[in-house]
Amino acid sequence: MCALGVNPPRDYVSRSGVAGQEGPRRPPCPLSSPGIRRSFPMTIRLLPPTLVNRIAAGEVVERPASVLKELVENAIDAGAGRIDVVLADGGRARLVVVDDGCGMTPDEMVLAVERHATSKLPGDDLLAIHTLGFRGEALPAIASVARLTLTSRPAGAANAWSLSVEGGAKGTPEPASHPPGTRIEVRDLFFATPARLKFLKAPRTEQGHVVDALHRLALAHPGIGFSLTDGDRSVLRLAPAQGDLFSGRLDRLGAILGRDVAENAIPVDAERDPLRLSGAIALPTCNRATTAAQYLFVNGRPVRDRLLHGAVRAAYADVLPHDRHAIVVLYLDLPTDLVDVNVHPAKTEVRFRDAALVRGLIVSALRHTLAQARPQAHPALGAEVLDALRAGGAGDDPLPAGTLPPRAPQGTGSLPWHGPRRPGQGALRFAYAAQAPAPWTGSGAGAGEGGGLAESGTARVPLPAGVVEPFPASAEGLPEDPGDIPDEWPLGRAVGQIHATYILAQSRDGLVIVDQHAAHERLVMERMNEALAEGGVRRQGLLLPEVVDLDEPAAQRLLEAAEDLARLGLGIEAFGPGAVVVREVPALLGDTDVKGLVRDLADGLAEWGTPQILQDRLGHVVATMACHGSVRAGRRLGLAEMNALLRAMETTPRSGQCNHGRPTHVTLRLADIERLFARR
Amino acid sequence: MKLTIERTAFLKSLGHVQSVVERRNTIPILSNLRMDATDQGLALNATDMDLEIVETLGAEVATPGLTTAPAHTLYDIVRKLPDGSQVELTHDATEGQLVLRAGRSRFRLACLPVDDFPVMNPGEFSHTFAIPSADLRSLIDRTRFAISTEETRYYLNGIFLHATENAGVPVLRAVATDGHRLACVETPLPEGAAGMPAVILPRKTVGELRKLIDETGMAVTVSLSEHKVRFAFDDVRLISKLIDGKFPDYERVIPTDNDKVLEVERQPFAQAVDRVAAISTEKSRAIKVAATPGLLTLSASSPDAGSALEEIEAKFEAAPLDIGFNARYLLDILDQIQGDSVRLTLADSSSPTVLRDGADGSAVYVLMPMRV
Repeated sequence: MCALGVNPPRDYVSRSGVAGQEGPRRPPCPLSSPGIRRSFPMTIRLLPPTLVNRIAAGEVVERPASVLKELVENAIDAGAGRIDVVLADGGRARLVVVDDGCGMTPDEMVLAVERHATSKLPGDDLLAIHTLGFRGEALPAIASVARLTLTSRPAGAANAWSLSVEGGAKGTPEPASHPPGTRIEVRDLFFATPARLKFLKAPRTEQGHVVDALHRLALAHPGIGFSLTDGDRSVLRLAPAQGDLFSGRLDRLGAILGRDVAENAIPVDAERDPLRLSGAIALPTCNRATTAAQYLFVNGRPVRDRLLHGAVRAAYADVLPHDRHAIVVLYLDLPTDLVDVNVHPAKTEVRFRDAALVRGLIVSALRHTLAQARPQAHPALGAEVLDALRAGGAGDDPLPAGTLPPRAPQGTGSLPWHGPRRPGQGALRFAYAAQAPAPWTGSGAGAGEGGGLAESGTARVPLPAGVVEPFPASAEGLPEDPGDIPDEWPLGRAVGQIHATYILAQSRDGLVIVDQHAAHERLVMERMNEALAEGGVRRQGLLLPEVVDLDEPAAQRLLEAAEDLARLGLGIEAFGPGAVVVREVPALLGDTDVKGLVRDLADGLAEWGTPQILQDRLGHVVATMACHGSVRAGRRLGLAEMNALLRAMETTPRSGQCNHGRPTHVTLRLADIERLFARR
Repeated sequence: MKLTIERTAFLKSLGHVQSVVERRNTIPILSNLRMDATDQGLALNATDMDLEIVETLGAEVATPGLTTAPAHTLYDIVRKLPDGSQVELTHDATEGQLVLRAGRSRFRLACLPVDDFPVMNPGEFSHTFAIPSADLRSLIDRTRFAISTEETRYYLNGIFLHATENAGVPVLRAVATDGHRLACVETPLPEGAAGMPAVILPRKTVGELRKLIDETGMAVTVSLSEHKVRFAFDDVRLISKLIDGKFPDYERVIPTDNDKVLEVERQPFAQAVDRVAAISTEKSRAIKVAATPGLLTLSASSPDAGSALEEIEAKFEAAPLDIGFNARYLLDILDQIQGDSVRLTLADSSSPTVLRDGADGSAVYVLMPMRV
C-alpha cells in the first residue's frame, strides 16, 4: 500500500535540489495509518500518463451515461446519420456505440486514444468551436478506466481496423470487418478504478441516466436516427426526422416527451440579433411536477442551466400552479464567440457573455408565445376527461354516476377500446383539474350571499369590453343552428349553464366546458394588469425609511436592479456597504413587511436575476382583487352573457388558465364523445 | 359561593370584561372569567395574558367564594335573560359547577380551577396621575387611525405616550404611525406625570380602553411603570403590558421647514377628496392635488373608469405645486380635524406634508405623498 511513497517510480522529479528538504526519511510504511498522511515528506513528481488519464476520467467519466454522452457526441461530430447504442447491465458490463459517420484511419485511431488529440480544433481558436467536443480528453479518459475497443472504417477505405486499449494499455491496430463508420465498445467500465465502481447505482438507475442523456442528444439532433438496446430489450427507437426543421423537431419532441406534449406544443421563434431562439413550449395546462422536462440546447449542445429554469418560471409566472413546472424545449443559436463552452470538462454548463440578454430573450419570447396562444381545444385535457370517464366507478370519481358510460366487464365485451385500465396519471390529473374549483364554488357562494366586500368590488371592476358590447339580438335565447359557428369562434356558441357554474358550449367539432369563475377571473386580471402597466405602479413614500441590512453582494445586486425596482414601485438607495434604505413601496401593497420583501427580493435576484418576487407580490394583490371582482360560481348567466364571456376569452391572452394556473375550459371532441358511446 | 345580582348591572359589566377574552384560545382557562364574591360585591376578572380587566359591581353576597366560568357563554346567557330579572349564582366547590338561576331558567356551567387563572402582577408603578376622560378620549381618537397593523414592526403597533415640552409648556403627547402617515396629538401635562417613562400602548389595549371610557365622565387615574400601565376609573381597572420596543424618533420626520402654506375649508375639501377618489378603482386610491394661487384642483384617473376633476377655493401663495396622495389616508386625517379649516404645509411633491387644524394647534398630522 505504500508502494508509491516508498519506491517512487523512476521518472519522479526530486525537489531535493531546490531547497534540500528531503531530510531524513521516516521508516517506510507506518503501520496501517489510514487516510492521508500529511506529515510524510513527499516529493513532487510528474504523474504517469495512465494516472493522469484516470484523474481526467474522474471529471469526464462519472457513470455510464457520461461515457455514452461523450461517445454519441463524437458520433454526431463525425456526421453520423444514425447512431445505435447497445447496453448490457445498464452500461456497466458493456456499452457499444455504432455510427455511420466519417470513420478514422488506423493512424488516427492510435492518436485518438492519446490525451489532447482531436480533429475538432482545426484552428487554435477556442472561441470558434463548432463541434460538441474539442478537448480531446474523452477517449483516453474512458480507455484508462475501462476496456475499450475501437473499430472504424473511413468512407472509401477497403476494410476496417480495430484497436484495443485496456485500462490505458494500448494495443496495436489490427484489420477487422465493419461497414463504413465507427464502432466503439466499452466493456467493464471502471474495472481499473474500483472506488468509482462502488459509486455506481443499480443497473436500472444507470440505464435511466443513459436514456436521459440520449434523450437530450436526440432532442438536439432530430435529423439523426437513434436506437438504444439494453440486453435484448429495445428501449428507444427514433427514426431520423423528415420534413422541415420545425416539424422534425416536433416529431422528435413527441417521440421523447410523449404525444400529449406534442399535441399541446406551440412553436417558439424569436430573434434578437445575433441570438435566435426556436423550439417549442407546452401550453401551461400541460405541465410537470419537476423541471426535468425543460431542455435548452445552445448551438446544438444540451446544456443544464439555472438561467433557463429561472427564465421559464418568470415567463409562466401567472399561468402555472406554483408547484408545477412548464415543459419547454428551446434551441438557442448564437455566434460561438458569445458563449464559452470550456467551463466544465463534461460541458454541461456554458457561460454566456451576456446572460441578461439571453434571459431577456427567453422570457419575452415565451411570454409572447403564451400570450399569442389563443383558446383552442386542449387535447390533453380532453384526453384526461375521457380517461376519467372511462375510469368510471372508481370511488372518488369526480363525475356523477349517472353520466358514466355503461360499464362492461373489464377488458371484454362491448367496449373493446377500453384496453387495460390505467388508474394512472391521466385520471389523477384530471381529478385534480376537475376538483380544484370546488373550494372557489364554496367561498364564491358564501361571499355572494353575504353581499359584503367582494360584491362592492365587483361593481367597480367592469366587465371586459367584449362583454359589455351590444350583442346581436339573435343571440338572445334562441337555439342557433349548430353549423352556424364562425371560424373565429373556437370556443363555440354557449348552449347553457350547468350548476350555475359551468358553461357548456358547442364548438365546430365538439363540446367546450368553461368554468365561468376561472375564466372571468383571468379576463379581469388581464385587464387590471394592463391598467397597471399603463398607469405604472404607484409608489407610496415612507415617512420612516426602512433600513435593511444585507450582505454586501446582496445589497449590490439590489442596487443594480434599482431602476427595475423603481418601475415596480420600490424605491431603494444605498446605505453604506451591505445595507439599503427603502424610501418608497408600491402603494398596492399597503402596510407591508418591507424588510421581508427586500430580503426575499435579494434572494430572488441571486437565484433568477430578476425582481420576480416583487412582480409576484403585486400579481398576487391584483389576482386577489380580480378574484373578488369576477363572476362567481353559482351566478346564473344568460346566453348573451355566456357568449360574451366566450368571445372575450378568445381575444384575451392566457385565457386558458385562471390566475392560479387551473384550466378555464376543457374541450371534448365530437369524435371522443362518439367513442364514449361506442359509435366508433 | 352564593349571590344574587341584578341582570342589567351584571350584563353591563360582563359586556366590558368579555371583550378582553379572545374568541379562540389555546389555553382553556383564558376563556373563563374569574369571579370573586366578597362582602364588597362581585369582582369580575378577565385576561388574555397581556391585558387584564377587573370590574367590581354590587351584589347581594350570601356566601363569599371564588370560581371561574366561561366568559362568552355567561355573557350570552345573561344577555338573553329578560330585563329586570334577578340572577342567582351558586357555586358548589364539590361539584365544580356554577349554577345560574333566573326566573324559571336554570343553567349549569362547567368551571375550571381558580388556581389556574393567571392574575397579572402589576408590580410597582412609578408614576400615577389623573387625566380627564375627555382629554384621554381625544388623544386616542385622533391618533389610533394611524397605528400600524404590520406585525413585523411591532413597535408601531400601538400609541406612543410620553411627557415632553412644546414651546416650554409641558405636555402629554400621543403619537402613532404606520410609516405612511403619522398623528401626533398633545394635551396639557397632568399633575404627577412629569418624568413618566415613555410607553407604547398596544392596539388592543387602546381599543378596549376607548370603549370603556366612553361611558365615564370622571377622571381616569393612570399608573405607569416601565412595563405595565393601569387605568382606573369608576369600578373598572384595566392593567396592560406595554409594547417592549423603541418607538422611532418621530420628531425627526415632522418637517419644520415646509414653506408652502395651503389653507382650505375642511368639510368641502374632505367631501371633494371623497368624490374624486370614487373614480380610482385600484386599492391605493391615488388622487392628485394641484395647488395654484387661490385654487386647488383635485383629480384622479383610472384606465377602467375614466377620470374626475374638482376645483376648490383655497388660500395658497407659493409657486404652483402638484402632489399625489392616497385618498384614504388623506380622509382619515381630515376626519380627525374638528375645526372649519385645515392648514397644509408642503415642501415639494416627494416630501412629507404637514396637516394641522386651522384653529387648534394640539394636533399635527404628517402624510407621505404618493408618486402618481
